[in-house]
Amino acid sequence: MSKSNLTYGKINDDMLAMLETPHPSYYLLLLGFLTALGLFVISIAIQVDVGMGYSGINHPIGWGFYITNFVFWIGIGHAGTLISAVFYLTRAPWRTAIYRSAEAMTVFAVMTAGLFPILHTGRPWLGFWLIPYPNQRMLWINFKSPLAWDVFAVTTYMTVSILFFVMGLVPDLAILRDEATRRGQKLRALIFTPFAMAWRGTNHQWLHYMRGYLIFAALATPLVFSVHSIVSWDFAVSSIPGWHTTIFAPYFVSGAIFSGLAMVMTVLIPVRVVFNLEAYITNHVIQSVCKVILFTSCIVGYAYGIEFFMAYYSGSPFERSLFYYRPFGAMVGWNLLGTHEITFPQIAFWLMIFCNVIAPLPLWRWKIRNNVICVWIICGLINVGMWFERFNIVGSSLQHEFLPSTWSSYWPTVIETGITIGSFGFFFTMFTIFVKTLPPMAIMELKEAIQPPIKGGHHE
Amino acid sequence: MSRFTGVWATFEYLDEFSNAIRAVKNKGVVPTVLSPCPRHEIDNAMGNPETRLPYISLVFGALGCLIGFSFPAWTASDWVLPVSEKAIVAIPPFAVIGFELTILFAALFTLLGVIGLATWDALKNPLPKALKRYVRFQRDRFGIVIPCDLRHTKDYENLLISHGAEEVYIENE
Repeated sequence: MSKSNLTYGKINDDMLAMLETPHPSYYLLLLGFLTALGLFVISIAIQVDVGMGYSGINHPIGWGFYITNFVFWIGIGHAGTLISAVFYLTRAPWRTAIYRSAEAMTVFAVMTAGLFPILHTGRPWLGFWLIPYPNQRMLWINFKSPLAWDVFAVTTYMTVSILFFVMGLVPDLAILRDEATRRGQKLRALIFTPFAMAWRGTNHQWLHYMRGYLIFAALATPLVFSVHSIVSWDFAVSSIPGWHTTIFAPYFVSGAIFSGLAMVMTVLIPVRVVFNLEAYITNHVIQSVCKVILFTSCIVGYAYGIEFFMAYYSGSPFERSLFYYRPFGAMVGWNLLGTHEITFPQIAFWLMIFCNVIAPLPLWRWKIRNNVICVWIICGLINVGMWFERFNIVGSSLQHEFLPSTWSSYWPTVIETGITIGSFGFFFTMFTIFVKTLPPMAIMELKEAIQPPIKGGHHE
Repeated sequence: MSRFTGVWATFEYLDEFSNAIRAVKNKGVVPTVLSPCPRHEIDNAMGNPETRLPYISLVFGALGCLIGFSFPAWTASDWVLPVSEKAIVAIPPFAVIGFELTILFAALFTLLGVIGLATWDALKNPLPKALKRYVRFQRDRFGIVIPCDLRHTKDYENLLISHGAEEVYIENE
């Protein structure tokens, strides 16, 4: 954050200016996202009405776009907790300007993700069956199942993310309440008063609040690493070729951080331009995020490579066959003119390699990291690549299991594609409403980061 | 709700504010202070007070951990479903449930603890009504509240003015 001209009062004014009546282009953007949301709702309605026969899922490919979307959106959610909790504990000062938006993204992404397992069950009106409770004969669910772990992991993650987000908002809601009072906006003040929870900024409140925030960060840090590890065990605990591997937990977690940070940049770079926030979301902040993206890109690139080595070194024909199938498709006689059918996993694999390993390489150059347009394009490609990485894992293994007689193929239907595109509408609609309703930056922490008002000498 | 009698003042500068806190504390009174954001200078002047919140988090986190392990163990033992030679009460898979419930319980009760402790302190240290209508503590001003008898208010008013207070108010509600 550029600290030179900022004062406590100016920070309040700048942040509140973002919540004023928006430019007409905002409504145009919101309309676009609402259209995608409409597509989401209609597609879900058709899917639920007609049933799972209207999806591309078949036997033995029981997991398709919906589980891919679930894993993708859970991964997107990771950046928020990483920035708000892990970088808080490691005292990375550049997180201040972006963590509130990243936390909001976490909440919205996990909400989006949560819809998919319910939809995937085929009977969403029985979604409450996912909650662990006993049947009429008092037989409880199997707590040894990775799917039961997943329910605990995702619901805990969503609960803690929402609490962390709400807790961070309370001092800022008190600012909104008092600024509305100061400016004579009685209705706004009335609305914000209950949400501010009698916050006055006393030493007692700050004492408990700051310690509570630190404890939350300490609790959320292992949680963020556990959630995607547990999601990865949905796959790794099974014996399917391509899934049954010990590297899945770190592979999934680094991929989640990679995609989440890319989504943060995809969203925040336009916000920075539209609201003139160059003094807050500085090039240094973007550079720092890009460095973490590069680091995680290296980890996922390594994971892609080592998977092939492990398939070769294991000696297992099933693993070897699958890892041939992912990049090259079915093993058929090769000819120059090619009658080779291109499979969806093949497309997913090569898009994954291009977007996640090759496209981020220019970020090694300072000039590219300093160019927000380049960063935005690269991060957009990473989002695409990470979605296809999820599909590459979910879809390809089920198409190419142990017995060649069970090999099959999967292509998504229009409805599945509509729900997938629509899920972005759901996510971006909520985020677009958020940036005009609540402060997208933590006002209190921005104030903490600048030089305090001092009459003489230096602050301690 | 308790009534307030005493003095409250606003400050523009942090260094003057910190000195005023120290001066008030030297007189044997622990003031309530208000600030737009947490500052370690204020904590230092207040004597770096501690909170009991970590104990609440620890106790309820441990409770969550206990439930997370014992409940799946009880359900597995209550209706035994053997699968090959696998252990009925198996610790590794229950560790996931134990871990998640540790975090969930600790987080929920940390938040409730913050609300409870802050409410308790607010009841013990009432603020003057006029101060609640002053809207710049969330913007750019620091505040100090000194509960005292009416006969001491003048002394504190002079002390605060001498330390650079911007506005000083005497309240007798």
